[in-house]
Amino acid sequence: MSVTSDKRAPGVRISDLSVVYRTGAGELPAVRGVDLELEPGTITGVVGESGSGKSTLALSMLNAVQPPGRIRSGSVEIDGLGDVVTLGGDDLRKTRGRHVGYVFQAAQNSLNPLKTVGKQLLDLGRSHDVDDLPGLVKEARSLLDRMGLDGARVLDSYQHELSGGMRQRVGIMLALVLNAHVVVLDEPTTALDMITQATILRIIREVHEERGLTTLVITHDLGVVAEIADRLAVMYGGRLVEQGPTREVLGAPKHPYTQGLLQAIPRLVGDIDEARALPGRPPTLGTIPPDGCVFRERCAVRMDVCETGEPPVLTIGPRVVACHTAAGDGEQKETVTTGPTRGEEQA
Amino acid sequence: MTATTIMPEARSASATLRRNFWRGVWRVMKRKPSRMAGVVIMAGFAFMGVFGPMFYPEHLPRDTSALYAPPSWAHPFGTDFEGTDVLALVITGSRYVLLTGLVTAVITVVLGAGIGLFAGFRRGRWDSVLMRITDMKLTIPGLPLMLVLSTIWKFTSAIEMGLVLGLLGWGGVARAVRSQTLSLRERGFVEAARGLGLSTPHIIGRELLPSMAPYIAMNMLIAVTGAVYAQVGLFFLGVLPFEANNWGVMLNLAVFGGGALTTTAALPYLLAPLLAILLLTLGIVLVVDAMDEIFNPRLREE
Amino acid sequence: MITGKGITKTFRQRGGMLGAREVPALRGVDFSIEKGGAVSFIGESGCGKTTLGRILAGLESYDSGEIVIDGVPMSSLRPKQRQPHFRRVQLIHQDPYSALNPARTIHQTLDAPLTLRAKQTGRSRSWIDERAEELLGLVGLDPGYVLPRYPHQLSGGMRQRVVIARALTVDPDMLVADEATSMIDVSLRLGILGLLKDLRDRLGVSVLFITHDVATARYIGLDGELYVIYRGQVVERGPVETVISDPVHPYTQSLLSAIPVLHGLEVPGAERVVPTEAIDAAQPDAGCLFAARCPFRTERCTSELPVLGHDGGTLQEHACFHPQRRSVVATPAVAS
Repeated sequence: MSVTSDKRAPGVRISDLSVVYRTGAGELPAVRGVDLELEPGTITGVVGESGSGKSTLALSMLNAVQPPGRIRSGSVEIDGLGDVVTLGGDDLRKTRGRHVGYVFQAAQNSLNPLKTVGKQLLDLGRSHDVDDLPGLVKEARSLLDRMGLDGARVLDSYQHELSGGMRQRVGIMLALVLNAHVVVLDEPTTALDMITQATILRIIREVHEERGLTTLVITHDLGVVAEIADRLAVMYGGRLVEQGPTREVLGAPKHPYTQGLLQAIPRLVGDIDEARALPGRPPTLGTIPPDGCVFRERCAVRMDVCETGEPPVLTIGPRVVACHTAAGDGEQKETVTTGPTRGEEQA
Repeated sequence: MTATTIMPEARSASATLRRNFWRGVWRVMKRKPSRMAGVVIMAGFAFMGVFGPMFYPEHLPRDTSALYAPPSWAHPFGTDFEGTDVLALVITGSRYVLLTGLVTAVITVVLGAGIGLFAGFRRGRWDSVLMRITDMKLTIPGLPLMLVLSTIWKFTSAIEMGLVLGLLGWGGVARAVRSQTLSLRERGFVEAARGLGLSTPHIIGRELLPSMAPYIAMNMLIAVTGAVYAQVGLFFLGVLPFEANNWGVMLNLAVFGGGALTTTAALPYLLAPLLAILLLTLGIVLVVDAMDEIFNPRLREE
Repeated sequence: MITGKGITKTFRQRGGMLGAREVPALRGVDFSIEKGGAVSFIGESGCGKTTLGRILAGLESYDSGEIVIDGVPMSSLRPKQRQPHFRRVQLIHQDPYSALNPARTIHQTLDAPLTLRAKQTGRSRSWIDERAEELLGLVGLDPGYVLPRYPHQLSGGMRQRVVIARALTVDPDMLVADEATSMIDVSLRLGILGLLKDLRDRLGVSVLFITHDVATARYIGLDGELYVIYRGQVVERGPVETVISDPVHPYTQSLLSAIPVLHGLEVPGAERVVPTEAIDAAQPDAGCLFAARCPFRTERCTSELPVLGHDGGTLQEHACFHPQRRSVVATPAVAS
């Protein structure tokens, strides 16, 4: 991918990141000890259910966690920028947009209903001290044209005049127009139709390659990640439980949660009885167990050690998995079947 | 039969619910000291209005040797032009003021919420008719109407006064409740109730009303202050003939009789009723702050 | 059994100064659902599938056409008399957060319709409480835990189960599940789908499943029928497995091609049709409604409107002049 522009794409290293929220019951961790590296020019997908901490992780990329939340420890190193966690004030504000572009969840609601898209673009430009505003408008128009819209017309439109898919494109345009090379997309296709979703995913992939970006996609939908991401990271209860190249993780998931999640998705072909619901329900901030494995309540292969021992984080080639079961048999494949195919290595 | 054994169980379920509700209310009030202060102030005024006048003879004693006396232990807020204790005047005058406020609030809320709910739920023709009436009502200027009315009506009883103020005041509440109803009726649970064939009274009373309770309670409390201001203003202006004493009468006499704005002698006489009004408003404002949390189960239980 | 014939519905949008604009939501839709059967409507948002569900649940009126519920044609009744019939169709809302009254406990929520039911059937107060517990058990919830709680104290999956239990209070013949799992966590969705499937078997309730997710539609009713709806018109209809494996209408093919492929587990369908998005939904004056987006359109498609029907070669009905079977759905990757 993106062979031509790899040099421009910065890498991002998130290390030992912990984010806590202050509640009546003290400070509770929404994200705990997350290590994640976004290699330059790749798309990384983070998958998780509600309460998994995926959106908090995305906000941390911009150091934009709002009180009562705060980043307790760890760092987010972006090439050419340094540790975002230590930035503050004006430096931080300039970072957002210029270096890191953010496409908000349900971009349909993140536009100002009282201003045209063009006006909001100019506001964005002014707040970032862009001298060449006509140039900015030109860039925006070409981005919108690139995404299959009539740029000039969209810039003259109000939010309500645009469909869901068009608003999502506007969100992507606003994230990229200041020439950011790290882009975070939070649930980019939620509430969109299947066909629109497919189009938006294609556009994300194409723009990513053309502009040489490093992209992070946050979603609850494994399908979205499967379509566009090079690497896949699975979050549960604030932890990263598994990560690796998308095809390998989907083809042969190692963590019981990833396996369960894949099995819980109804498929278009094959025996429908293969699909199995995961028992229990995802933890909320207040019910995440403080120690031991976060997933053990719902795990089919739990052991005594899961109650108390923090699962070891194992690196197996390009893959990382945090599970006690993986500790014993290292490189061995799991025995649980995943959907119609058995979990075979695809590498 | 089992019916008889289950019945008390059902009743106890609703009793538990009620107990939990009041426990929740207590929790919400305890959360901020200001709310407790508000409750204490309002309870104090309620006590004053109900029992206050009982502590004083029908005709308050006059001390002709101490006209416009300054504050002292015997007269904490001094005396008026006749030598009557100002504190006694404030207390005995509170009943009329508070009762008016209460009657106004009840009428405002019952009429406003009733009309708003009905119009918003029924929509269509009912809505148009009721809202046109509301609009017409909203265009009636209150003060001039009161001035005209006062020439033929003496408003000797607080209930009459409250009735008139209430009939003048329900328009705003009706409009706001209607728009709330219009948005709530599209919510899933109201549609579900319709789909299940539940009766309109059930939907309005049990499904819609509880969701609007904080809003209605707030409006009710605010209507009390509005009514107090309105009537005190009318008496202050001297538009209404005063037969009994009340706070507005006191203000009128202090300013126009005692010249409180130019000399200091009548100042305590002026400030005492003002202070009472301010304190009452403060108490209400402090309590209004808790309404959202009281009527929203999530905020209440947390 | 519930059937519909030629259902049409047009919404009148207030278009500001230019006056009312007419938006056709349904253009003569025929359907039929057996007792205990499963029918799925799939299509993009705004295609009319939700409107049809709401019409069947009696929450929306229709302009013309006939609905027959258990042999009783609705046109033979006055509007007031129709309500008890439409009540036998209960709608499960997409959003379990707004479908329950936040100010009422689950006990209160179930008590109201059950009280009404008890009155109609002359049952005692004790029956109400027993039935509430029975229904919660049926949807897989612990009555002791759920009954005294407020909706905010339950998870999305539990709420959706409560919503289903509430719909069952009136002993419906059919449940209309409108995107009933789209707002529920992925790991919990299958539980809700399984419950709906289970209710078909155990209670003989038929399920009308409205969704844009074909795989969930398949899960609920493998034995059922799939209706593909485009702009208020049924463009393809047939047994679920047939429509998924051998779609003949280009719109169905686009829709199925757009479903993300789980690379690593699956390989994309051989003849995946690259779908075009409806950016400009301008109304064609004549011809096929899908023509503007169709990669296979011909002269005839823009001048003549195809109608739903069989032709010799296909198992399913379709509304296309150039039906061609294409295999577009992802298939399992062959284990190496």
